Amino acid sequence: MKNMFLRTRTTGIKAGFPASHFLCPSKIGGRAKRRGDVLTVFRFPFSVRDVFRFDFVESASARHNQSGLCFCSRLLAAFRFPFSVFRLIILFSTLTLASCVDEVQFDNTPEGNMEALWKIIDEHYCFLDYKAEAIGLDWDEVHARYRGKLDKNMSSAQLQEVLCNMLAELRDGHVNLYTASDVGRYWAWKEDYPSNLNDEIRESYLGTDYRIASGLYYRILDDNVGYIVYKSFSSAIGEGNIAEVLHHLRLCSGLIIDVRGNGGGQLDYAQRLASHFTNERILTGYRSHKTGTGHSDFSDLTPEYLEPSTTVRWQKPAIVLTNRGCYSATNTFVRDMLCCLNVRTLGDSTGGGSGMPFTSELPNGWLVRFSACPQYDREKRHIEFGIAPTIPCELKAEDVAKGEDTLIETARKLLAR
Amino acid sequence: MKHAIAILMFLFPFVCLCGQTAGDSIRSHAFMLGVGSSHQLDTYLSPQNYDGFQISLLRETLRMTRLAGRRISFQSLWQGTFSHSDNASGTATDWGGHIGYDALWHYNWTPLQGLRLMAGGAVGADAGFLYNSRGGNNPAQGRLGADLSASVMAIYRLRLWGQDLALRYQANMPLVGVMFSPQFGQSYYEIGEGYTNGNVCFSHPGNAFSLWQQLTVDIPLGRHIVMRAGYLCDIRQSHVNGIKMHDRSHSFMIGFVRHFRKVGRDERKAAAVIL
Repeated sequence: MKNMFLRTRTTGIKAGFPASHFLCPSKIGGRAKRRGDVLTVFRFPFSVRDVFRFDFVESASARHNQSGLCFCSRLLAAFRFPFSVFRLIILFSTLTLASCVDEVQFDNTPEGNMEALWKIIDEHYCFLDYKAEAIGLDWDEVHARYRGKLDKNMSSAQLQEVLCNMLAELRDGHVNLYTASDVGRYWAWKEDYPSNLNDEIRESYLGTDYRIASGLYYRILDDNVGYIVYKSFSSAIGEGNIAEVLHHLRLCSGLIIDVRGNGGGQLDYAQRLASHFTNERILTGYRSHKTGTGHSDFSDLTPEYLEPSTTVRWQKPAIVLTNRGCYSATNTFVRDMLCCLNVRTLGDSTGGGSGMPFTSELPNGWLVRFSACPQYDREKRHIEFGIAPTIPCELKAEDVAKGEDTLIETARKLLAR
Repeated sequence: MKHAIAILMFLFPFVCLCGQTAGDSIRSHAFMLGVGSSHQLDTYLSPQNYDGFQISLLRETLRMTRLAGRRISFQSLWQGTFSHSDNASGTATDWGGHIGYDALWHYNWTPLQGLRLMAGGAVGADAGFLYNSRGGNNPAQGRLGADLSASVMAIYRLRLWGQDLALRYQANMPLVGVMFSPQFGQSYYEIGEGYTNGNVCFSHPGNAFSLWQQLTVDIPLGRHIVMRAGYLCDIRQSHVNGIKMHDRSHSFMIGFVRHFRKVGRDERKAAAVIL
């Protein structure tokens, strides 16, 4: 047990090892030093490579020599070099604690919920810069103003009212606050304008013998004009549905597609329907998304193309009837249709809604929906506040009195020319 | 980034083949089932923390190879998890699933009789998802990644109450890899249309510090079957593309281990070398 040096008969470690240096700093630079039953070889200066290059030598005599030691001393002695293993474990644990990826959690109080909502919009809403320019929105000022309207003892209904009013500052129909009792909304984009739609009169144009292909209601009007009503892009339509409808209307002199009051739905259906009105791949607009929390952190504009359908494609004039109730996916449909030859829009501006909505939630569980990914037209302009019609037209009271729809009648006259 | 992917793709089949080198080694197969707590956050879906439970399945094979004078062992780890968690207000639920595979090589030291220390590296891949019951156009998050990890393990055999027990601690930490992540406000609709710039991210402990730790004890129940019980701490985190994610689980694991050895007709002894 004495004068044991490199790789002698006992258990030994051959390495330059910093743990040993900690244990016996005075021995750094020495050739070798035995500790208990372990031979530790010091080499100085050691390299990083040495730290990981250690070799363990074990022999029968070593085990014999160790037998007289208590377990702890044997363990410690044997762990001179593996001491780093423990240090690594401690390091792991420390790093784990220090490297926690967490998000700020607000309290479930009126203040906490308001702050959480404001932060969600501040970081994720995609039109803050645009609306600051277009309508003078100052989101920081909104924060200061609505913060002052909070009270610790306010009821849930009162909090909802304050938060909904705060969200209404965005003037966005895609922004909603869902609670158990109500859906906070901003619908002024259509409620503040004439609807240019009378459902009873529209039904009278369809009559009773109209056909239904999934979400498409259609018939041939008396003057040989095809008439299609699509009330919601949430109603599924397939290629087969559209092909059958267009085939049925193939002898018509023109086509009216009435999407008034269509509040949107699936973008896929909008693009699917529009694809039957172009013979070639056309650029219809652009899209982007946020890349960070800043108001101006956006990706490069990604072009959006409309691919022509491989089935039936409409080659005659078509008119799309629009009003302020055309929102979201319908807004995109109108944008796409305007890029197609032989297609015009008639009526009022669309309602807009060009931001694909995402959802998030507040500490009290309320769900918030907001615009996250903006779309643009092919001139890279925002279409958040709607798309103007090619042919402006309003529903006239005298026509309503006669049971006529001014927009449909105007479209029929245009298609008859 | 492309180089990192290429290196990982190149390494994966190679290292898998390396694990096949020892044809006559003793190997232990373990299968464990675990139940524990789950703590989820994914700011792509919600800024709120979700808490719930997780069920884990762990399949492990450990054996010696002929590499470095039979001092290198090969371990394969399959892990599958399913989690269910709710937000603090109880108004929404997250369902998550994950499956991962790691191939690990450890250099072995035996500083004491009964004690085995192992350190090495691993290559692994994993895939998973997290679905939120209330999401609109961001209802779910996908996970996909591959990484190279550092791994340490210590196994100590002791005799207690007349039983030969084996205590084991293992820690794996990814060091470098690639992972999928949507951009901060990017929709899967856009990704599905082929716009995937920035969706493959380089991961390292600075932006994706994760740690997998397991502490187990093996208790023989018979001549050939060993029960294994323990604690599994699985911490997965990332902060890439502005999206914060953590998936922390603490599970109690229980299962069985069986040791196998290729034997000749006359050789019926099967000694458990690795415990």
